Amino acid sequence: MIEFIDIHKAFGSKQVLRGVSLEVKKGEIMFIIGSSGAGKSVLVKHLVGLVRPDAGRVILDGVEVTNLTEEEYYPIRKRCAMVFQNSTLFDSMTLLDNVALPIRKHFKLSLAEARSEAKAKLALVNMDQHAERYPADFGDGMRKKVAIARALTLNPDFVIFDEPTTGIDPISANIVDRLIRDLSDRLGVTSIVVSHDLRSIFGVADRVAMLYKGQFVLDGPPSLYRETDNAIVQQFINGRPQGPMEV
Amino acid sequence: MTKHTQAYVAALSPTQRRIAQLGVLFVPIVTQVTDILRVGSLAFYYAFKKPIRWREVVQQSFFIGNRSLAFVMIVLGFLGMILIFQSGFQAKRIVGDLQGMGALYLQLLFREFAPTVTALMLATRVGTGIAAEIGSMVVTEQVDALRMNNAEPIQYLVVPRLIASIVMTFVLSCVALCVAFGTGMFVANTVFEVNVATFYNTSLLEWGDLIIFSLKALAYGITIPIIASQAGLSAFGGSEGVGTATTMAVVNASLAVTILDFVLSGVGYIFFFS
Repeated sequence: MIEFIDIHKAFGSKQVLRGVSLEVKKGEIMFIIGSSGAGKSVLVKHLVGLVRPDAGRVILDGVEVTNLTEEEYYPIRKRCAMVFQNSTLFDSMTLLDNVALPIRKHFKLSLAEARSEAKAKLALVNMDQHAERYPADFGDGMRKKVAIARALTLNPDFVIFDEPTTGIDPISANIVDRLIRDLSDRLGVTSIVVSHDLRSIFGVADRVAMLYKGQFVLDGPPSLYRETDNAIVQQFINGRPQGPMEV
Repeated sequence: MTKHTQAYVAALSPTQRRIAQLGVLFVPIVTQVTDILRVGSLAFYYAFKKPIRWREVVQQSFFIGNRSLAFVMIVLGFLGMILIFQSGFQAKRIVGDLQGMGALYLQLLFREFAPTVTALMLATRVGTGIAAEIGSMVVTEQVDALRMNNAEPIQYLVVPRLIASIVMTFVLSCVALCVAFGTGMFVANTVFEVNVATFYNTSLLEWGDLIIFSLKALAYGITIPIIASQAGLSAFGGSEGVGTATTMAVVNASLAVTILDFVLSGVGYIFFFS
């Protein structure tokens, strides 16, 4: 289980998170939604130590992981993979070497062993036939699929997806959604998904929490978002430019 | 400012508040210097720890050395001609004898111009390149991805640039010295009719000059990539953040080169030339 307890975070004079608390249960697919700059990515990065809180605690399976040293975060990052918003593939490496990198770094395997392991993960996202090509040869959608394969190489217990379907075509987005669902159903992987994609939210999420002005305004199953009379949530879900929400 | 700091400031007397405001001016400077020292010490720690990415060191050496060669040669070449042209006229007017010009010029190149002007060139060309490259990696989350993959960004990105810069700053300073001396000799010979053999005079050179030349090249070679990398690693936001980091790298690296030049010249004067 993942617990964020009363997290506060500011960058300079900008207060991004104002006492955010959230619990994500094992095997759950938790969507975090909110307008751009609401602090969704900042919140999830606290789990793996990419961002450190000004105040508050992060608990992973009962163990506090709030302010560890960089080396103490290594085992946490092995258990919690992250798919970044920008894919973040390394341009100087082939797709296969990109996916093999975490295996080599975390498990200290030989290049040949790591590459064979990586090829199997690329096959999961139908990219194994392009294994020896470079990221620059592909568009955002295919790069994102490779980034997902890279995140899955360590067989993580938790995966953070930062806008996994943004900027990719509907078919690829569906494949990604199905993959997230499969990870949860078949392997019991817990997923935190930062997203704006309403189709994904209502199709895949077990629970959705909406972040606004550094605090959650609603937390519950996707159906609650259709029923609620919260004006901020309704404006966001229906994409209305007019309303109480400051964009 | 946090709530705690706000409450603390509110409790101060007007005089204390004025003093605190003065202190606020120094906070960003102290923060930045501390961060540069942190990046520098970590880079040295990892420079002596395996693995070193030697292929990246070679690539960075090519970028820092080979790609800067023409720029450094042209600038130092013209600077050499200008220096001899201007100083020759002055010397001719005041002392009338240009016999010792070559010896003095060579000493000046060793002590000052060759390593320092080369470093200022590298601070602009290489400093911006490093800051922009690392800054782009930061804002596109590639540095975060490295950390997620158990790769320490300073070991992965800064150490190869540091090793390459130490070697290539020294090499480029030597090349710069030869070029500036050669072009100076050309002007001395063609404009002032100083014989080449007379101009090529090493009688004023001491071991101290060689040591100071090497020390300066080494210090600049360390400082430029560390400062540029720190600027890149502290980039925040989008392309605007990368722009700010690039500007910060050039300003800080140029300032550091100038200050180091002053300090090392002082050291040279105390230990070798006084």
